Amino acid sequence: MKYMLKVFSATLVSLILSFSIANASSGVFKLSHDLGFGKDTNLDAITKGRLFQVVIMTQNRLVRKNLDGVTSPELATEWSANADATEWTFKLRKGIYFHDGSAFDAPDVKYSLERVKDPDIGSPAKKSMSSVTDIEIVDAHTVKMKLNTSFADFPLLLTDYRLRMIPEGSGDTIGQTGIGTGPFMVDKFDPEGTTVLKANPEYWEGAPGVAEVHVIAIPDGEARVQALLTGQIDMNRYVPFSQKRIFDNNPKFNVSVVPTGNWRGMVMRTDTAPFDNPKVRKAVRLAVDRQELVDLVMGGAATVSCDTPVAPSDQYRLKMDCPQNISKAKNLLREAGYPNGISMTIHVSTKEPTWPTIAEVMQQQLAKANIKADIKMTPSKSYWKETWMKKAVAMTRWNERPADSILHEAYHSGAKWNESFYKSSSFDKNLADARGQLDFNKRKAAYQNAQKTLWEETGTMIPYHVSKLVITSSRVKDLDDVEVFSIQWHKLKVD
Amino acid sequence: MIFLIFKRILLGLITLFIVSLITFAGVEVLPGDACTTYLEREAYGAALEACYQRLGLNVPAYERYLSWAYGVIQGDFGYSLSGEMKINDVLGPRVKNSMVLASASILIGIPIALLLGIITALWRDKFPDIVISTITIFSMTIPEFISATLLILIVAIWLEWLPGIVIVPTGASISELLPNIILPVIAISMIMTAHMARMVRSSVIQVMSSDYVQMAILKGVPYWKMVFKHVLPNALLPAINVVALTIAWLLGGVVVTEVVFNYPGLGRLVIESISNRDLPVVQALAIILASIYVGINLLADLMTLMLNPRLKSLQIKK
Repeated sequence: MKYMLKVFSATLVSLILSFSIANASSGVFKLSHDLGFGKDTNLDAITKGRLFQVVIMTQNRLVRKNLDGVTSPELATEWSANADATEWTFKLRKGIYFHDGSAFDAPDVKYSLERVKDPDIGSPAKKSMSSVTDIEIVDAHTVKMKLNTSFADFPLLLTDYRLRMIPEGSGDTIGQTGIGTGPFMVDKFDPEGTTVLKANPEYWEGAPGVAEVHVIAIPDGEARVQALLTGQIDMNRYVPFSQKRIFDNNPKFNVSVVPTGNWRGMVMRTDTAPFDNPKVRKAVRLAVDRQELVDLVMGGAATVSCDTPVAPSDQYRLKMDCPQNISKAKNLLREAGYPNGISMTIHVSTKEPTWPTIAEVMQQQLAKANIKADIKMTPSKSYWKETWMKKAVAMTRWNERPADSILHEAYHSGAKWNESFYKSSSFDKNLADARGQLDFNKRKAAYQNAQKTLWEETGTMIPYHVSKLVITSSRVKDLDDVEVFSIQWHKLKVD
Repeated sequence: MIFLIFKRILLGLITLFIVSLITFAGVEVLPGDACTTYLEREAYGAALEACYQRLGLNVPAYERYLSWAYGVIQGDFGYSLSGEMKINDVLGPRVKNSMVLASASILIGIPIALLLGIITALWRDKFPDIVISTITIFSMTIPEFISATLLILIVAIWLEWLPGIVIVPTGASISELLPNIILPVIAISMIMTAHMARMVRSSVIQVMSSDYVQMAILKGVPYWKMVFKHVLPNALLPAINVVALTIAWLLGGVVVTEVVFNYPGLGRLVIESISNRDLPVVQALAIILASIYVGINLLADLMTLMLNPRLKSLQIKK
């Protein structure tokens, strides 16, 4: 009996030892998600119900943004365009394997990207691929994408967090398996409970620092904060700024404020009087004190923007100052034929909790320039259908997109979501020039010219881009201090 | 007696019918519909049409109500908003989880409530009564979101004795659930026990001061024999209704507690499906919670009738 015990414990010890030597990954990193898509939640990155917290760890893109926001290789090692940037050739990384053991090669790329355009799937990511007309397999590790337009920044579109590479033909099962080439593999998928990911020891950038990742469903925001406080999760990227004080100066937590490309704004329809006059639109925008909005609505946690939708960290962002200028606003109104000012009704809803607050602060600011603003609350349930793009003045919000995408989607005269009904041939031309321009500096100049045009004429007042509060347990090490889609998860460690 | 039972069941069914009408009408009256909220900015053209088609929203409201009601009668609540999950499959584990939480709270709460109620009544206005009554009134008046948060702060964050919130999958087995529900059960029991203890106290005091008890005391019946044989059985009868209401509240009404502790029960499902605008699930929940209330109250009334000889004879005379 004693002998048996000895043998048993010796085996156990050697097992543990060999395991810890063989596998450098150790510890469990726990994070939460809000179950925002309820029963729809799945691991197919291109669907509406994608659980991105898992997908970004298990699947790779062709191209990613590095920590400075510049495109860099992921599963594609290099790329080049033809002279007018309508054909793009991507060289694929060799020796990469999916979690199911199959090799990653060109047919997987073709399959993964063509699925995005499948009308039956109705992917919200289809816009990123809309200019792609054909994906040609040149050889096992080369693909050529043909576009219906010149697009010098096409690789930037491929950094969309949803454009993940999955094994060819896996579309029916990917929603449950989440198979990819990423640093973590799905061990157990339980959208309403705890989803368990295991380190992928064969990951091409090196074995991950943590052995397991737990992605836990906690729908309630307060409960997520409690879970962070009690150590049940290690990271919370959704803590409201009002609760920052709980974590400040607490040695158990690290607090960081990360700027994002998400913005809030007020849209004046440029096809509706009096906002069909660019002077009136500019007068309203000049009467707004953006810094005050940042301080009052966001508690300082936002970056002032001068009506440019381009993210503060984007390489094409136009940097300028736009302080409140009441006298200039009054002058513009007088020139436009409104010496006694104008009145307008701002439509808001609680769809975005800060909209009513933004409108109330603006109401005070605009009054100084003889602009009388009434605030009208509309039902949040039908906001996008009945209020947005219907009423003359309404609030809006957008999530981060690359400069080219957001300028096209929200302002191009042919865009479906041109929310201010803005039509400007010079603006459209700048965008088209930028797309065809392979020289970076000239391209940058064209994008910035487009933003300058917006400052003069736009109907969309964008006071700021919001920042995000990221709180992690102090046991978490080497977490990149950037937006969630650029984090290099394999580098993460926990004590 | 049998006629009475039938009458009560019929009344219950009418109540459920009215509840179903109100829920359905309420959902209809709201601006927008399931498809516009689900699709958000994509709600136009072909996608919107396809969604209407899939959810059957393109037929008149009364037809939809009839086919929905027909399904419900057969125990089929249809599909959730995404159309991917049968609502019955969604509800099953949630009902079980809520039952586990409710049973644990009842098993702990009711004996304590009875004990406290009886002690405070027998030692009325004496030291034990003053102390216990102060505590019960205190825990009755603190809203559960405060007591629950305080519990997490003290037990989970400061003392680090127990996990703060419940992290278990919806389909967890009872043995997986039990170690996690200690804090929620304490939070719920605090309020429930306090309410019931107050109820038991006043009921016992009332019986103690009745004529026949005074008579028994005068006749020299030993105090404890009198308490256990004559007072308690009469005093606890009215408590059945209170207990019934408590059980119904526990199954569907502990929304706040379930959300604070992240407990995957019916209460949290109510909040989740409302914030996801998953109206088919909201409708199903409204009907189920109404049925629980109606059913348990019916049961309680019948039990009171059976246990109370006076009520029974009165009914027969009529």
